Amino acid sequence: MSVLTAQPVNQFVAKDYKSDLKPIWCPGCGDFGVVQAIYRALANIGRAPHEIAFVSGIGCSSRIPGYTTAYGFNSVHGRALPIAQGIKLANPDLLVLCAGGDGDGFSIGGGHVAHVVRRNIDLTYIVMDNQIYGLTKGQLSPTSRRGLITASSALGSMEGPVNPLMYVLGYGASFVAQGTPADMAGLASIIEEAIRFPGFAFVNVQSPCVTYGQEDQLLKAQKAMMQPLASLNHDPANRLAALDLAQAYGEKLYTGVFYRNPDPPPTFEALVRLRQEQQRPLAKSRADVLNVFRLKTP
Amino acid sequence: MTTDLVIGMAGSGGDGIVSAGESLLTAAALEGYHGVLTKSFGPQIRGGESSFRLRVCTKKVLNPGGGLDIAVALNWEDFLKFGSELPVSGRTTVIYDAATGVAPDGIPVKDALPAEVLPVPIEQMARESGGGDRVKNTVVLGLMSGWVGLGREQVVAGIRKRLARKGAEVVERAEKAFAAGLAFAEAHPLRVDRTMAPPAESGAKFVVDGNDLCAAAAIVAGCEFFGGYPITPSSEIMHFLGREIWRYGGTMLQAEDEIAGIGAVVGASFAGKKAMTATSGPGMSLKTEMLGLASIAELPLVCVNVQRGGPSTGIPTKGEQSDLLQAAFSAHGDVIRPVLAAISAEDMFAVTVEAFNIAEHYQTPVIVLSDQEVGQRKETADPIDASAVRTVDRLRPSAEDLNPYVRFRFTESGISPISHPGMPGGNYLASGIEHTENGSPTAGGEMHSRMNEKRLRKFEPLKQRADLFLRAGNPNARIGLISWGSTAGAVIEAFELAAADGLDVKLLVPRLLYPVADGIFQDFLASVERGLIVEQNHQAQLYRLLRMFVDVPGGVETLAKSGSNPITPSEIVERLRRLAAAPKAETAR
Repeated sequence: MSVLTAQPVNQFVAKDYKSDLKPIWCPGCGDFGVVQAIYRALANIGRAPHEIAFVSGIGCSSRIPGYTTAYGFNSVHGRALPIAQGIKLANPDLLVLCAGGDGDGFSIGGGHVAHVVRRNIDLTYIVMDNQIYGLTKGQLSPTSRRGLITASSALGSMEGPVNPLMYVLGYGASFVAQGTPADMAGLASIIEEAIRFPGFAFVNVQSPCVTYGQEDQLLKAQKAMMQPLASLNHDPANRLAALDLAQAYGEKLYTGVFYRNPDPPPTFEALVRLRQEQQRPLAKSRADVLNVFRLKTP
Repeated sequence: MTTDLVIGMAGSGGDGIVSAGESLLTAAALEGYHGVLTKSFGPQIRGGESSFRLRVCTKKVLNPGGGLDIAVALNWEDFLKFGSELPVSGRTTVIYDAATGVAPDGIPVKDALPAEVLPVPIEQMARESGGGDRVKNTVVLGLMSGWVGLGREQVVAGIRKRLARKGAEVVERAEKAFAAGLAFAEAHPLRVDRTMAPPAESGAKFVVDGNDLCAAAAIVAGCEFFGGYPITPSSEIMHFLGREIWRYGGTMLQAEDEIAGIGAVVGASFAGKKAMTATSGPGMSLKTEMLGLASIAELPLVCVNVQRGGPSTGIPTKGEQSDLLQAAFSAHGDVIRPVLAAISAEDMFAVTVEAFNIAEHYQTPVIVLSDQEVGQRKETADPIDASAVRTVDRLRPSAEDLNPYVRFRFTESGISPISHPGMPGGNYLASGIEHTENGSPTAGGEMHSRMNEKRLRKFEPLKQRADLFLRAGNPNARIGLISWGSTAGAVIEAFELAAADGLDVKLLVPRLLYPVADGIFQDFLASVERGLIVEQNHQAQLYRLLRMFVDVPGGVETLAKSGSNPITPSEIVERLRRLAAAPKAETAR
């Protein structure tokens, strides 16, 4: 059963996806809102928790799989995407979610993004972007603004930030969106749409850090500045327009779907299935593989 | 007549050296001979020098042999580049292309007066056949068929098959070249007869190499996922699975890097599938963090390291056994990862299957140490009966285990039933972070101690697996011989020679290198006063590893050489003789 054909049977409600584990996040952390939005999105989709694999790396936000009732995997720093891809390829029937912070996704693990995009493996990658390293107590992150003073940049950062939206759009991703827990309903529906998208889907979430973050990034500030893309009459099928809007990352807070490819390429796992079906008749049993070593008398 | 023959040949990259060696090995295997073919190349991507050495024997052999019986040089410059890999001695018949213009008494071979030196107009015969330089190798095949007597029809049929798609004219020229070489050999018998005696047993053998056989073994063992990244000398494992795995319902992923390769394997294993990755030294260094993750999350996987010269890029095209200590210890935290090693290409089958079985049973990453020699040399193997292969699956939770499910439950064996996504009621959190029995993260010292104890205790029975050790000789012998991996091929032969010579020696070859089976080693060493541990690395890594866990007698010495420096049966026998002749060892160390 693919994600798309799954009927919303309303068999599950949001709290069915909530585990008993108490989050370690600071009170007021944006990630509380993100996990709530994920519960809601999953309830709308209606897949049973045991059919969901939720993978993360390391960081504050990467604790998130443990707060759900899905099969979770809180792995190592920066490597959530390779592990999630292995899971999806091993069992394409699973709904695979992947999540982490901006450091996990765009610094230590940044090299993996291009490849999950070009394979177009059907999984949803949610980055909780807070422009800071929280778990290690307040160092520069790849999305920190230039000049920022942090524990590791006492005299101010000398580097400009990565633009996660341009980064993923630039590699040719078919689904790129942004949300904020300042708009819970909007975030839940963006995540739901991303999960339903047949292929790799990326959601950047502006999830403020209440402990090490900047005043102008907190939920209250976000509420004031956020601007739904829908209100701009943006056509999400227009990739160039999406790139244009994505350039405003760091200055404006657009929410919603930047780009949704109306004609996405086939997923890697669909091509794998096709190849397996084409090749399967060539072998009767696993022992057949040894025939290649058998010499044929000329 | 001879029962054991080593042929070495060298020339330029375009001379078809390797394909000549493969033709001879195939012909030998079809007639039931045993053979080992090693290939060696210069560092150039294309062209440059290349060589093979082929050992053909009427009975089983596990190493490429020592000095050459027949040396073939298409030109001297390339031949000499291989130095000790193609050693010419007083028993060698040297054949070389007369076109080199060198007189038989002026060949540039130092320190040896060969048994016979014979210039042969190889280039001229190739030209006269109409095929030019491209068929020089075929002329040599004709010469070898004439002098050695390896199935002519089979070599010719092999040539036809190989060249068929290039057209009748090409085939005809090649056949002419072969016939010319054969006629030359018949007209010029060698002074030392090099004709092979009939094989001990008839019936065609398999021709295998360690990398392909490792990949095939993975499929037989039930592997459904491979993730990896190209690296010499292991890439053939990925190539093979990229051709074959689909028809068995599996998937091969060429990942973006070594870390992603093993990362996807960790994911596939979490999803319930048997999974493998393969690499060589530098890739092993990169995979280390993921191996730790698999250890703490208790996920089965197989990681093959086809060792090459190191450290860093080292010598990518040459084998070495210098990653043993890395395999055993390159992990942070208190951890055991089983390490297995194969002694030959043929042995890669059983060792790879066993690696999957151990990984699944103990829910652990298992490292398989191969090396360039085992991985890339071709050798004959007895046909493998896959129906006799025993495969093991991980312990899945019963209905009772799922009510409620506790993933890392403390059990007597230390092994807890493992579920996978898609299994109702088996939901849990896998993590690299320390966890409680049900998978919840914890920083508590007491739980950490108990989990470490569980994860280490589970390997105790593995250390009792005597079947993972090859033992031979008088159990009470005073002289002990130990070796591992590809070097064990030469050591086994040396042991047989020494025993035939009346030396009181016994042999131990571990396929399980870590955890160190201290009981098995201690038992072996109980009667040993003097011994020799033989391995292809500079630091004598197995010797040092054993000294950590086993009381190794002071009379045990090492024979350890860096990669690319052959260790031959004769030098091992020589060391054993000296050990046997030495005065009785003092008891004090």
